[in-house]
Amino acid sequence: METPLDINDTSVYHSELGIQIRNVDISFPTPKGIYTAVKNINLNIKSGEIVSLIGHSGCGKSTILNAIGGLVKPTKGEVVVKYKTITAPGPDRGIVFQHYSLLPWMSVFENIYQAVDSVFPDKSKSEKKEIVHYYLQKVGLMNHKDKSPQQISGGMKQRTAIARAFAINPNILLLDEPFGALDALTKSSLHEELTALWSSDEQKKTIVMVTHDIEEAIFLSDKIVVLTNGPAATIGEIIPVNIPRPREKKTFVASPEYKAIRDQLLYLLMEAYAA
Amino acid sequence: MKTMTLKSFLPGLTDKSTGAASAPVFSQSIYIVKQTLTNLFLSLVGIGLFLLMWEGISVYLDRNLPGPLATLTVLWSMISNPWYDNGPNDKGIGLQLMMSIERVFKGFSIATILAIPVGVLLGSSKLFYKMFDPIVQILKPVSPLAWFPIGLVALKNAGSATVFIIFITSLWPTLINTAVGVASIPDDFRNVSKAFGFSPFRYITKVLLPYSVPHIITGLRLSIGVAWLVIVAGEMLSGGTGIGFFVWDSWNALSLEKVISAIIIIGTVGLLLDRFFLFLGKKFSYK
Repeated sequence: METPLDINDTSVYHSELGIQIRNVDISFPTPKGIYTAVKNINLNIKSGEIVSLIGHSGCGKSTILNAIGGLVKPTKGEVVVKYKTITAPGPDRGIVFQHYSLLPWMSVFENIYQAVDSVFPDKSKSEKKEIVHYYLQKVGLMNHKDKSPQQISGGMKQRTAIARAFAINPNILLLDEPFGALDALTKSSLHEELTALWSSDEQKKTIVMVTHDIEEAIFLSDKIVVLTNGPAATIGEIIPVNIPRPREKKTFVASPEYKAIRDQLLYLLMEAYAA
Repeated sequence: MKTMTLKSFLPGLTDKSTGAASAPVFSQSIYIVKQTLTNLFLSLVGIGLFLLMWEGISVYLDRNLPGPLATLTVLWSMISNPWYDNGPNDKGIGLQLMMSIERVFKGFSIATILAIPVGVLLGSSKLFYKMFDPIVQILKPVSPLAWFPIGLVALKNAGSATVFIIFITSLWPTLINTAVGVASIPDDFRNVSKAFGFSPFRYITKVLLPYSVPHIITGLRLSIGVAWLVIVAGEMLSGGTGIGFFVWDSWNALSLEKVISAIIIIGTVGLLLDRFFLFLGKKFSYK
């Protein structure tokens, strides 16, 4: 018998949980002394949930994401995924980096293929190609697969990065300000593509996303984690977004639930934790 | 067929049906031709002025310095019969040049084979970098000619000692540029390879090398440049054969025409070597 899940209790592990962040502090040595980026982070994320981390610049959102990704080690505490403490990056967690991070000397296809080839060494070449083609199709880049990253637009680069992260079929997807550098129209269509990709896989993947865009956070998330200001930032508030899916952009923005959450977030970011 | 070729050279011949489409391409090629001709003209003017100045100085020095005409005549006779061999002190310029190029090629190749892996190691490991950087910094500013006696002792042969100093010369720029290139791989690319679990082999072949190759080629270009500078001095020291020996031998025979001709040949070969690596660099640059 499992005890009913108290989502805010990180002291026990629960099978429904995708990611558990327990008492995490992260500090970095700098020439001026030790800089504590985040302190005392406790967060439970359920499997299949989409969670946004939101806060002002420099509050350590990306640091938390990198700790889940295994690129940064917590100074104190631990990040637990599937009963295991994270110590290094792994193929169970796909990362979409802030600056796309496509390798400029490879084509769009090759960028995804190298990731697939690295994660699935036992699959045959044609199977791996098929995977790459499947995701290229999903993000509408089939016609651009042989172009180099310098030849495509920012939106296409981001689509490639998303396709690359999805193609290794991770349980967890980590997105670091994925749409930050894109224009509003491209952003909107990518929001819908992302939820479509997520839904096409029975909404099983857990997605953690760093953003500073309030509308984006509400539209995509099941829950929004608001961070206080750094240094030594911590979780200020966790706001659930109980708006049913599928969400449709136009009607969604006009709904009272959306407005209520937006007002709350605006209040938190502009007044409670004003920069 | 004839009109087709003519059309691309004479605007008046473009007929109306295709004229509109081909006009921009046409004016672009006209522009390129114009630019090339202008550049050619300007370099010819520069060379002309230089020759004029040279002739002036030559006249001023009572022809103790040979003028352009006398020199070019000698140069012509040298390059029209480059492969003759009348014993140790009288060989064609082609043979001398080949000797020098061979030594540079040997020394440069051995240096490259060593410098690239060591550079990769120094660039990827802070520990190695801190250990070996002081040695590199001390040895780098030493004139490679200072290594000649060591080469003689070690290899017991003047020709091999010359190859040895070329090896030492070509080592540093390639090593340092490779190390700097590898050390400057952006975190973003390192993180990609970590996040997607790249094996060391995949990281080296798909991230490290493609990123550093332009740096490495710049290093090679600097190395071959300095090697070509040093070979002349090295062969003056070692004697026997090579373009450097040729310069010294011609000076001893008091043939300044030959010395100046050799300078022109050395410069031309140096330019060609440099352009080759510049071309290689452009070919392998991913930007």
